[in-house]
Amino acid sequence: MIEVKNLVRTFNSGDRTIKPVNDVSFALEQGTLASIVGKSGSGKSTLLSLLGALDKPTSGDVVVNGVSLASMPDAKLTEYRRRDIGFVFQQFNLIPNLSAVDNVMLPLEFAGVRKAARLQRARELLEQVQLDPSKHERRINRLSGGEQQRVAIARALANEPKLILADEPTGNLDEQTGDHIIELLSSLSRDHNTTILVVTHDRALANKTDRRFRLQQGKLTEEPVRGRAAVAASA
Amino acid sequence: MSVLARSVGNAFRNKVRTAAVVAVLAVAIGLALAMLVANQAVGAKVQELNASVGTVLTVNPAGGQGFEGGGEPLTADQAAAAAAVPNVSAVVGTSSLRLRNATEAAAQAAAGTQAGPGGQPGQGGGPGGQATATLTTSLTAAVDAGTLGNRNQQANGATGSSGSTGSTQPVRSLPITATGIGAQVDTTGKALNITGGSGLGDYSAASTNALLGTTLAQKNNLTVGSTFTINDQTYTVSGLFDAGTAFGNNAVYVTLPTAQALAGTPNELSSMIVTVNSMDNVASTKTALQTALGTDKADVTQGQNLQTAVSSLDSVKNISFIAFIAALGTAGLIILLIMVMLVRERRREIGVLKAIGAPNRTIGLQFVLEALVLAALGSAVGAAIASFASGGIASALISSNTTSAAATTGRGPGGAGGFPGGQGGPFGGASQLLNSVTASASPGVIAGGIAAVFGVAIIGALVPALLTARIRPIEVLRGE
Repeated sequence: MIEVKNLVRTFNSGDRTIKPVNDVSFALEQGTLASIVGKSGSGKSTLLSLLGALDKPTSGDVVVNGVSLASMPDAKLTEYRRRDIGFVFQQFNLIPNLSAVDNVMLPLEFAGVRKAARLQRARELLEQVQLDPSKHERRINRLSGGEQQRVAIARALANEPKLILADEPTGNLDEQTGDHIIELLSSLSRDHNTTILVVTHDRALANKTDRRFRLQQGKLTEEPVRGRAAVAASA
Repeated sequence: MSVLARSVGNAFRNKVRTAAVVAVLAVAIGLALAMLVANQAVGAKVQELNASVGTVLTVNPAGGQGFEGGGEPLTADQAAAAAAVPNVSAVVGTSSLRLRNATEAAAQAAAGTQAGPGGQPGQGGGPGGQATATLTTSLTAAVDAGTLGNRNQQANGATGSSGSTGSTQPVRSLPITATGIGAQVDTTGKALNITGGSGLGDYSAASTNALLGTTLAQKNNLTVGSTFTINDQTYTVSGLFDAGTAFGNNAVYVTLPTAQALAGTPNELSSMIVTVNSMDNVASTKTALQTALGTDKADVTQGQNLQTAVSSLDSVKNISFIAFIAALGTAGLIILLIMVMLVRERRREIGVLKAIGAPNRTIGLQFVLEALVLAALGSAVGAAIASFASGGIASALISSNTTSAAATTGRGPGGAGGFPGGQGGPFGGASQLLNSVTASASPGVIAGGIAAVFGVAIIGALVPALLTARIRPIEVLRGE
């Protein structure tokens, strides 16, 4: 359960004050697959960074399972990101000189998992996102965009987070791969009761989510969806 | 993959840059290590110089020294007075004799070219108790008179006479210096280097044992246990010593009472070697000793020229230490700047690590370890550089800083009777010791230096590592 209460984030740009997130409130039940759509520069990524504790709000609060992020010290926020959040970035943000499997092992290492267990779990996750086993030891900069995106998703799943925040997870992918990623995300929300919030331009992806939000000039509005049945049918 | 493995991997991420950084670091570290080695080598030599002669004062009769000058001889009472001066740890009396080869002396006397005791010292004015001590021996001097010897003898023997008598003189052999000593030390207070046989045992009792210089023994075909005569009395060679110089080795040591008996001056001393308990007390003790003995009775001297040598070596030591610190600081600065650059360059990556939950200390540790990998590589190459360069650097430092000192100390090391008595020793000794400063890269010193390099590397890397803590995870979204 994630609740967002009157969230505001302002930036000073010269003499103007920009409000990419302006008084946003919503709540997501655990296990929901939700999407946020909006034009470029509408504040989608800023909202996502606030939810993932990458950035601090100017005012308002995010409450995750009854715990307020606004009052948390930095060390606790780090722990929150490590334990409860999985990020999938638009530009993947993998460590380029490490292999695929090493990248997936990073969050496990930070969580204190032993080495043998780390390696096993990382391999399982990479198989789950259907990365060819011959490419597990390959360095990130030798993988294609689609492969990198799958490694990034595997990394986000490493510590079995309760919330996955994905920024344009299909933005750099061809249609077929994109579809596969969408299926993967929706099956996760179903099977592992993981809350997933995706920011996307992709209509196909947005149409398959349980709830759909639209961000316009810092304001969030919920759009009606056809219901989960449709998603389930297509999946 | 552990933090360490990741750090090592990161250190080699850009191989060309790593090679360049390691090369620059290696030069700084190599210089630091070479300076440390030079510092240690010079430090050890200073200690050796101080230990050997630094705390020794020499007391001569006022106005006399060795076989030169005049005045009244020193006495046993004065030795007791010197021993009572505070901070004096030992007083060793010496009694010097000059030995002439018996057959040559007889032949010379028969030839009648010169009156007196073979043209030996004395005429010059009031021999200070040593003039009577010219004795005959079966030994032949190990040093040939040569030009210098003849010139000296003419100067000493034919004072006031015109050159005409000098030109008719036959070639003479040099006298041999016999010294009666109260302990197993040479005339400069340094322990005798016994190379064969044993010492004289009890130095305060008369005995018929003697110590011979190696070249003197060789010249006379004597070994340990052989006998020779002084004034027709038979003496046994109990040991051989090596003084390190040709002049020093043309000498005989007997016990003090033996020498006093031979000279017929039982209570007289030619000089006293006074050892002070510590380097710090030398100056004050010198003054106290001079006061106790009286300026009209005794001259108290210190190895002045050696002091100059020690102080110039000390300045080399200080210079090399400052250079060590400076080179170490440079290495630290190189690491600091490189790491600051790396942290700036990898802001985004640091942001990613934070976004996926890496604690600050893990990221900081990763950068410190990465700096240490660079420092380790630099140290390895630097140690190799240092082991080749330290000898050259140390000798370059010493030769450029002690030229002036060497000029003053370099007088008369060859000996050849140029200055008889106790003076030749310390002068020659100082320049000899200066020349023997050898800088070898000992593993202990190198290890200590590398430990210092690592300390500096950690400090140098800590600042950038702490900077990583200030990078916010939002960096990860920069440019998106």
